[in-house]
Amino acid sequence: MSSNETATHGIDIESLTRPRAQRRLSDEEASMEVKDLNLFYGQKQALHGINMLIPKQRVTAFIGPSGCGKSTLLRCLNRMNDLVDGTRIDGQVLLDGHDIYDKSVNVADLRRRVGMVFQKPNPFPKSIYENVAYGLRLQGVRDRHRIDQVVEKALKGAALWDEVKDRLQESALGLSGGQQQRLVIARAIAIEPEVLLLDEPASALDPISTLKIEELISELKDKYTIVIVTHNMQQAARVSDYTAFMYLGKLIEYDDTNRLFTNPREKQTEDYITGRYG
Amino acid sequence: MAKHGVAIGGISVIIAIVLIFFYLLLVVFPLFEPAEAEQVGQFDRPGGAGHTLHMAMEEQAEIGVRFSDDGRATFFETTTGQLVDDQALSLPSSTSITSFAIGEPLDARVGYGLSDGSAVVVRPVYKESYPNDVRVITPVITYPLGEEPLPIDEAGQALVKLAVQDGEEEATVVAVTADGRLLLTYFAKEADMFDEEAVSLERSQVEIPHDGGPVDFLLLDKDQRNLYLASANGSLIHYDVTDKEEPQLLQRLNVIDPETRRRLTSLTFLTGDISLLVGDSSGRIVQWFGVRDERGNKRLRAIRSFDEQQRPIRAIAPEYSRKGFLAADESGRVDIYHTTAERLLLSLQLSDHALSSLAIAPRANAMLAEDTSGRLHFWRIHNEHPEISWSSLWGKVWYESYDAPSYAWQSSSASNDFEPKLSLTPLLFGTIKAAFYAMLLAVPLAILGAVYTAYFMSPSLRSMVKPSIETMEALPTVILGFLAGLWLAPMIELYLPGIFSMLLIMPVGILLFAFLWNHAPRVVRHSVPDGWSAALLVPVVLLLGWLSMSLSMPLETAFFAGDMRHWLTHEMGIDFDQRNSIVVGLAMGFAVIPTIFSITEDAIFSVPKHLTFGSLALGATPWQTLTRVIILTASPGIFSAVMIGAGRAVGETMIVLMATGNTPVMDFSIFQGMRTLSANIAVEMPEAEVASTHYRVLFLAALVLFLFTFVFNTLAELVRQRLRRKYSSL
Repeated sequence: MSSNETATHGIDIESLTRPRAQRRLSDEEASMEVKDLNLFYGQKQALHGINMLIPKQRVTAFIGPSGCGKSTLLRCLNRMNDLVDGTRIDGQVLLDGHDIYDKSVNVADLRRRVGMVFQKPNPFPKSIYENVAYGLRLQGVRDRHRIDQVVEKALKGAALWDEVKDRLQESALGLSGGQQQRLVIARAIAIEPEVLLLDEPASALDPISTLKIEELISELKDKYTIVIVTHNMQQAARVSDYTAFMYLGKLIEYDDTNRLFTNPREKQTEDYITGRYG
Repeated sequence: MAKHGVAIGGISVIIAIVLIFFYLLLVVFPLFEPAEAEQVGQFDRPGGAGHTLHMAMEEQAEIGVRFSDDGRATFFETTTGQLVDDQALSLPSSTSITSFAIGEPLDARVGYGLSDGSAVVVRPVYKESYPNDVRVITPVITYPLGEEPLPIDEAGQALVKLAVQDGEEEATVVAVTADGRLLLTYFAKEADMFDEEAVSLERSQVEIPHDGGPVDFLLLDKDQRNLYLASANGSLIHYDVTDKEEPQLLQRLNVIDPETRRRLTSLTFLTGDISLLVGDSSGRIVQWFGVRDERGNKRLRAIRSFDEQQRPIRAIAPEYSRKGFLAADESGRVDIYHTTAERLLLSLQLSDHALSSLAIAPRANAMLAEDTSGRLHFWRIHNEHPEISWSSLWGKVWYESYDAPSYAWQSSSASNDFEPKLSLTPLLFGTIKAAFYAMLLAVPLAILGAVYTAYFMSPSLRSMVKPSIETMEALPTVILGFLAGLWLAPMIELYLPGIFSMLLIMPVGILLFAFLWNHAPRVVRHSVPDGWSAALLVPVVLLLGWLSMSLSMPLETAFFAGDMRHWLTHEMGIDFDQRNSIVVGLAMGFAVIPTIFSITEDAIFSVPKHLTFGSLALGATPWQTLTRVIILTASPGIFSAVMIGAGRAVGETMIVLMATGNTPVMDFSIFQGMRTLSANIAVEMPEAEVASTHYRVLFLAALVLFLFTFVFNTLAELVRQRLRRKYSSL
């Protein structure tokens, strides 16, 4: 972990000089919007007045040193923070213009629309097939034919189909770490969420698996709005369209990825991406 | 260092268990050892030339006696044949011996019928003395009914068949005269007020109507109530002679199928004088005893037969205190059998000649047989546990006086004739039944409680609930058993309808409360912190319990005519024991709950959080996550919890000992008690004579219990390993 981190603290200039469509954040259509979000763990404030817009069908990366609140912010987007005792939130998070923290919101429905993949691959102790079918079964889908189709589509979408199509009924725990992570992504996209939250999805994987996940993210952004939290700045640079730099629970800078890495406005951002701390 | 310490500890535990196992095996092993016998002596018939009527041995089998038809009793050393004493009986000089009868073997009385219509009863007595510290046995002939012959037939006809029983207060002589009359003579004994030795006899006689057919065997039981006449063609007549004035004909039957043309060659009582052993010319021996028919009359019935011997049975010698016997046949072979175990224990070829007379020592450790060439054969027998066989331990056995074969455990009784009934089946059944009812209560409560505690309860409440339930485990089971037997059992009997209504009221009431709570105004609901709502159920459960109990009386009055127990017994025909399976289920369930709860709770709590989050992030509700992911992942742990709980319920002793009534019945009814293997060992082991069959069978019960738990736990572990391979998470 630490060697990986230090090795990637410098910026891969090549990846940044790659031609990229010039975009402006303000022109993007919003999928989610965070407004004046404050989050407290008991007495301790973990997020301070976050305001940001998550553009639709783009990849947005959250970077920052450990403990900066980037994972906490990510978990606010599908209310996974509700599961942590003593969490208090004020402010708003809008999904398609509706506040997800409104009392009338069904959390399970919300999480169906805003899927999430965790740092550590967490397949269920079931077969590969059942893992992918899990979300559908939760919704009460019984049509075998439809489930077959969805499983195949999701596994293809997660670039795993060719590797597992002959052993769908075998335990998911027999897959390698990288395969498991792609399986978890397949499981998430099987229920066709609008937004996919990825919490350091490749940090527990080897470089080849990491590469595959990154390729997958690039493919998925045509259909999904993706938010990724990463320690790895190279990865953020490679896969994201927009990058948010957070520090001590505050959103320091949020901009087009190219600009943020090549020409940061803030001193703290520059210090971080040039490896002075983190 | 630590590694070696652990290894040594583990190995010592295994060694200790193996040692226990082998010790049990060592004690149990003799039960299954085959019988053995060795020849000790063989010699010519001692005493005069008269034919042997009967032989017997004293307690130690050192001295034997031979009664011969020339009126002599010859005592001899059994190992060498050396003469000890040879006495002529005091018989009137002008008469000859025309018939002979053997009384109850233990009392050692024999009777002689004489040619002048009188009879003499003789009893050999062995007096022990210790001159110079050496035991000397001096045989003496005594005449318990007087030396003077008893007049039987007033007409003075010779007595051709005789049966004699002489008891404490009465004696009966039954005789067939030469002209075919059947006479029953009864002597009531009256002790002299001043001299206990002197007994005066009051005689009465009745002639039993008899068709005059041939009588080859005449048997009177030791209670002087049943008389059997049989002829060599196999027809048998059974009289009830309880009323000595008016004997009753009970039954006529053929004990040998007339079509087979076999002859009845031997007829004796099995010890206890309830069963008849019928030996025939084909070598078959059949046990008969009275069984109640549909009208409630006892009729003789063939119970079991032994077809081992191929030649006519010449003599049967029943053991004195066990339900075994020896049978000698014409080929010179003697077989040792046990009736209830249905076993041939040993087969011995004694002689090339036919055997004519057979005697067994009172302790069944020696036998004496005479062959037709006049040689006597003395053998020592080692036959410690003839009553144990696979079928008598596990199968249904038709015991004497039982109306049908049954599984029975009844190891002791007040009577000497009693046959121990050592079937382990009712005990194993009781063990499983007790465990079943305990698990019926404990498994759902413990698992559901554990699921709630681990998954829904707030950590602060959990940190109080879990240790308190685990503390319950430390409660001595003797206290639980004591409370169950003395407080709970009468309570349940008193509030029986309340207990049953609780089964309905409790779950419905709790669900109703949960429903109301979920629809309560938000202000009310938010006044209870998250995960603490279970605590609200405490007063609800108490209230519902109180409600059930107070409904008991009205329910009983309304539906069960005021007394449910009475109603069950009389209307439904269900027997009700106060200490029944409900009591055991509750008490032992209570004892097993902490075990199951604790392990299940740990299993569920240790399901990785990332699986829970993974499921929730896919839009699962907490309930869906629980049922589809958590329970599945925790299933190996839950399974072992149930198995360990079941193992505890099977081995639990004090609760079942005190709360079951310990009746070894085979009835799955919830209103009946049971006796378990463990409680049985606890109850009977202190009273069992060391190295007796009973003692060894108790060890066998322990071995069964040991193997049962061993196999059970091994299977459980195998299943658990499989589940773990399948469902263990990362």
